[in-house]
Amino acid sequence: MIGPSFPALLSAAQGGDEQAFAMLWRDLQPALLRYLRVAIPTAADDLAAETWMSVIRGLAGFRGDERNFRAWVFTLARHRTFDWHRQAARRQTDVMPVELLGDRPPDDPAAAALEAQSTRAALALIAELPRDQAEVVTLRVIAGLDVADVARLLGKRPGTVRVLAHRGLRRLARRLESAGLARGVTR
Amino acid sequence: MNEEDAVPIDMRQLLAFLRPTPPVLDEDTADRLLTGRLDPADAPPGYAGVARLLAVAAAPAAPEELAGQAAAVACFAAEVESHPPTPMPRRARMPSKLFSVKVTAVVSVVVLSVSGAAAAATGLLPSPARWVADQVSPTSHASSTSRGQGDPVTGILDSPGLDKATSAALCQAWQAGQGASNGNRADSAAFRALAAAAGGADKVAAYCQAAADGGTNSSSQGQATATGPDAAGAAKAGLCRAWQAGQGGGNGRRDDSVAFRALAAAAGGVDKIPAFCETTSTSAHGQGQGPSSPPTTLSSPVTASPPASGPPSSTGRGGQGQGGPPTTG
Repeated sequence: MIGPSFPALLSAAQGGDEQAFAMLWRDLQPALLRYLRVAIPTAADDLAAETWMSVIRGLAGFRGDERNFRAWVFTLARHRTFDWHRQAARRQTDVMPVELLGDRPPDDPAAAALEAQSTRAALALIAELPRDQAEVVTLRVIAGLDVADVARLLGKRPGTVRVLAHRGLRRLARRLESAGLARGVTR
Repeated sequence: MNEEDAVPIDMRQLLAFLRPTPPVLDEDTADRLLTGRLDPADAPPGYAGVARLLAVAAAPAAPEELAGQAAAVACFAAEVESHPPTPMPRRARMPSKLFSVKVTAVVSVVVLSVSGAAAAATGLLPSPARWVADQVSPTSHASSTSRGQGDPVTGILDSPGLDKATSAALCQAWQAGQGASNGNRADSAAFRALAAAAGGADKVAAYCQAAADGGTNSSSQGQATATGPDAAGAAKAGLCRAWQAGQGGGNGRRDDSVAFRALAAAAGGVDKIPAFCETTSTSAHGQGQGPSSPPTTLSSPVTASPPASGPPSSTGRGGQGQGGPPTTG
């Protein structure tokens, strides 16, 4: 989050200031990339670049505060994922096969995530959740959006968003336990 | 170490199986967990690992996550170049119906007067509200008059994916790099964006060809006074901006990338880039080069309202007007 200087930064970027834009980009890009890595691991970088294209094109017309801005950027990102799914379905190409997801590599992401403190592995673990749970958890934890924002973004009721988050958290807890890590982390 | 360590492994799995699933969290705890305000040590039984996992997932940015900055800034610069920003007048709380009627009327008038009936036939109504606002508003910035007359007309010819100036720049850089065995090319964020727009790395050539053809077509169709995409100018400008943005940024890859080698080649040497870019910044300006405009949903209420997403390409969930922000309140 950028905070109090956000309005000035935004209006500078809207005026064409590259440095201001770069700061907005640096602030949001990591979260954007991580959100997309959970959503579509194989195309996250491309989709992040496409999302920024949309942001750049729409920036001049944007009105709102930092919260609105973040919600907007993630809305754009989410639509890029829909586009991607549509195109993938059309091309019948390599959407990651489900069998592959079930086939856990010897290095369990759960173990890797906690032991190596690896963000990538943590994201891979979150990506194992059912899609709607994963999305709610990512938007709350990584995008930093609140329940109301996430509800609007997903077109769901706030109560539904809360339930999805709870389910996601419980599932993660069980997943970590079943990976035999409970001992290590509850110590 | 606790006593569970002494339990044989399969026994431990059995215990895990028998143990009740992690408790349902109360709302406050869940919220603290999700916002990173719950110390793993204070987490309810079974959730300490989750707290740590989420902290790792939300860890500060790694350098590799910021690697695409130069490309992103270059795209931004290309957009600014092709579409000089003008402040949009506040339209908040104008009844949307009234607004869209007014805009429709004004658009028709402006279009007819600026570029003739032929252009109007291309269906301007969903045209960028930003441009409309420029033309309509009495508070509009002086620069709206300095923009090329053909600008609004070429603005209609948005291609989905990348905007014209950007894709022209990237295509040119990509073509310049063809044949040079540079591993970087396919990897850089800019070229991945190009590949994404093309629908795959293997389709870039066709995409660039089509983009070039499209550019010629549109200008040969007598698009009012539009001068057609000045690909060379736009590409040069975009690359120069990117190069300048990277100046002093300690970006080691800058000089190595195909795009910048193309720039260096055009300039006649790496050391001549500054002078070369100096001339570009003045000459490549105001060419009305088929910019993409942010199509704003005209009929939506405008309070704190970001515009719709750029490309009209997307159709599915959310329909048009997708990218429309979650409305507040």
